[in-house]
Amino acid sequence: MTLFRIALRQQRTGLIAMTLLGVVFGVLNALGFVQVAGTSQAERLAFARSMEILGAQLSYMLPVPEHLDTLAGYLQWRAFGSLVLILGIWGVISSTGGGRGDEERGLVEQWLSAGASRARYVTTRVLVFILVATFAIVATMVFTYVAGTSAGEPLPLAGMASIGLDLLITTLACFGIGLIVAQLVTTRRAAGFGAAGLVIALFLINGASRSSDVGPVRWLSPFYLYERSKPLTGDGALDLGAVSALTVAALVLITLAVTAFVRRDLGGTAVTRVSATSRPTTAPSRDLLLRIPVVALLRQQWLWIATWIIGLAALSAFLASIIKTVIDTLTSSATPVMRAYFERAGLSGYDSFVGAIWLSTLMLILSAYAIVQVQSWSADDAEGRFATILSAPVSRGRVILERLIALLVAVGLICAAAGAAVYLVTASQSIEVDGSKLALATVLVVLIPLAFAAIGQLLAVWRPRSALVLLSTIAVVSYFLVQFTPLFGWPEWVANLSLFSLYGMPMSGEVNWSGIAGLIGVTVVGTIGALFAVQRRDVGA
Amino acid sequence: MTEAIETQGLTKDYGTGRGIFDLDLTVADGEVFGFLGPNGAGKTTTIRQLMGLIHPTRGSARIFGLDCDRDSVAVKRKVGYCPGELPQFGGWRGSEIVAYVAGLRGDVEDASIKALAVRLDLDLGRKYREYSHGNKQKLALVLAFMHKPLLAILDEPTTGLDPLVQQEFYAIVRDARAAGSTIFVSSHVLSEVEHICDRVGIVRDGRLATVSKLDDLVGMRAFHVEIEFADGVPTEQLRSVPGLEQLRVEDHRASGILRGSFEPLMSALVGHPVIGLVSREPSLEEIFLTYYEAKR
Repeated sequence: MTLFRIALRQQRTGLIAMTLLGVVFGVLNALGFVQVAGTSQAERLAFARSMEILGAQLSYMLPVPEHLDTLAGYLQWRAFGSLVLILGIWGVISSTGGGRGDEERGLVEQWLSAGASRARYVTTRVLVFILVATFAIVATMVFTYVAGTSAGEPLPLAGMASIGLDLLITTLACFGIGLIVAQLVTTRRAAGFGAAGLVIALFLINGASRSSDVGPVRWLSPFYLYERSKPLTGDGALDLGAVSALTVAALVLITLAVTAFVRRDLGGTAVTRVSATSRPTTAPSRDLLLRIPVVALLRQQWLWIATWIIGLAALSAFLASIIKTVIDTLTSSATPVMRAYFERAGLSGYDSFVGAIWLSTLMLILSAYAIVQVQSWSADDAEGRFATILSAPVSRGRVILERLIALLVAVGLICAAAGAAVYLVTASQSIEVDGSKLALATVLVVLIPLAFAAIGQLLAVWRPRSALVLLSTIAVVSYFLVQFTPLFGWPEWVANLSLFSLYGMPMSGEVNWSGIAGLIGVTVVGTIGALFAVQRRDVGA
Repeated sequence: MTEAIETQGLTKDYGTGRGIFDLDLTVADGEVFGFLGPNGAGKTTTIRQLMGLIHPTRGSARIFGLDCDRDSVAVKRKVGYCPGELPQFGGWRGSEIVAYVAGLRGDVEDASIKALAVRLDLDLGRKYREYSHGNKQKLALVLAFMHKPLLAILDEPTTGLDPLVQQEFYAIVRDARAAGSTIFVSSHVLSEVEHICDRVGIVRDGRLATVSKLDDLVGMRAFHVEIEFADGVPTEQLRSVPGLEQLRVEDHRASGILRGSFEPLMSALVGHPVIGLVSREPSLEEIFLTYYEAKR
């Protein structure tokens, strides 16, 4: 029972965050549908036609839409189609935390030495995750169902239960992937990034399989199996073959991981390998980059930054490559509703769509980069590295500023590569994009992660243990405000509370300089706040 | 002459009696000062205030005349620090850690790092996470001494070191002192500071109990002794041994706390066949209790 309580405690933050996220996501999408799709049959059909065209072009991210004239079809596509990835990432974070993070911190050694068996420890962690994931998903389904009913759009109960079950099993499969990866590496960081990378790759394989033949490899993707069932648009039934395969996969992955954990050395990996021999030395590293302020921080993360540069450049090139097809389809005379919508939104010409599609994606991803950096700054504090740095003649303020400058340089490099990729791909497709506008928009987008980092610094100094959750909440709320303000007709100032909204749409019109000033203001206030707070606080306390 | 360390009413109050209170302490330039106390007495709290990592609730601390809180950057140019709780550097190699911290300091010669690593037998080519606790401690000592500081502040620096490396550490301290450095070293083991210290301050329950020269603490030094006799216990002879306190006799065994020299005890045992004799150093808390009870 003690192990159970400990495991539950470890899952507390994830449980609360995912329950809230799922409920808010489901409820807002349900209420938003009623607002945006209209009430008459004709309006619904027009909306469905428009969104199906859009959805077909977004098939690399979202499932192929069906029955978008109904709330059930809309939720299956828009809400649960993306929620499944979020739940999968949660599974990875949780499994790598339980499978490697606690071990890294010495907690597993403590619990095992207190008499708990390895099998009991790891199965308790698995069971508790199943419990909390079930709770979060059931809460999401119940609140979404109630929201739909209260908006006069009752949802099929059996279908909701089925899709909830499908989501749960997919989440557990991702949990299993994370748990397996955690047995193969020695740090939580490596396990987290490795497993998250694998899950995202499997997600993209499924995305690719929607529009082209990727061969039997698609069956390896839990997201592909998840999508075989369409309980909200069909008769409420699950695709038994796919669900069974997914269940078996989850069970096999978890069982293999549990076995590996029981058999391997604590602190070691399941696959024993002779560690790469290092030449014994008593000399310090000759790497001069480690000794230069700011550059040292970039040097420590060079592999990580290089991965981001390559990854985002590739994604940007991909997005730019589909823009022409997407826009030609959406603005064709066959879909006057969409054309009118885009005109209202100020979107005309390919370059404005580059801004709408590429920059909005880039903003989200860069804010995630900033959040990950803030997490590592909090870890510096918790793991004693901050105190070690301060034992050198270095001021606390310098540490704060160096971190921000290093982040600015890294994000600048990432954006430069992404912007160059977009420019080159659009040029190769004969899409006319104003180079100076693109350059300015790319430079300005750097302000988004910088603002997140500045707020994150303040949070990391003020509440290091809660910084990650608080900053992620700000990001999620910012995202929701941008998504739902136009949908619900909320006043503009509500949207302007979002950091993403402050950036505006510099590719489709004039730069929103007041919003840019707002972002700079947030950055300056966050930084000054962090500089002030770091002077006052006790380090390592 | 400027003192190396000077605290006046230094207090960090964590509430419910935890912390350090009204600490008035002076450590002279060139001195090796031992800061002794049981676990939780307030040693690390004091040291972290000296390093400017935590702010005092009231009072002040100065190092070479500089305020530890306001002038902490200038203070740390003169100070080398070995923390009591070792940081985590994950997959970094030892060589990268020392290069990074040397870069932050800017006043470190590579030769100095190399010399310390050789003396402590530390392989800097290995990853930090592969280091044993003792090797991590050695790395912390390299970081503390590599820039030849005017003052080394060491929080329980021998934790995890094997006896041979401990001896090398004492030699490093003696060399640093010979080169003009001041050493402030905390410990909870009296015998450890005896190797290197000129003076010792003893802190207990957050308050400075005493500051004495090492010679003055000889009376405080004590051993727990257990003797097993072949025949009966010569109780009367043992009672007459000066410095032997809390004598307990049970069957063929006698035990007690011995202060001062072993010689009177050995003399008393002559003619009484001894099967076994075990002596161990009691914990500082035990020494305290017996010391203050004896003085009462």
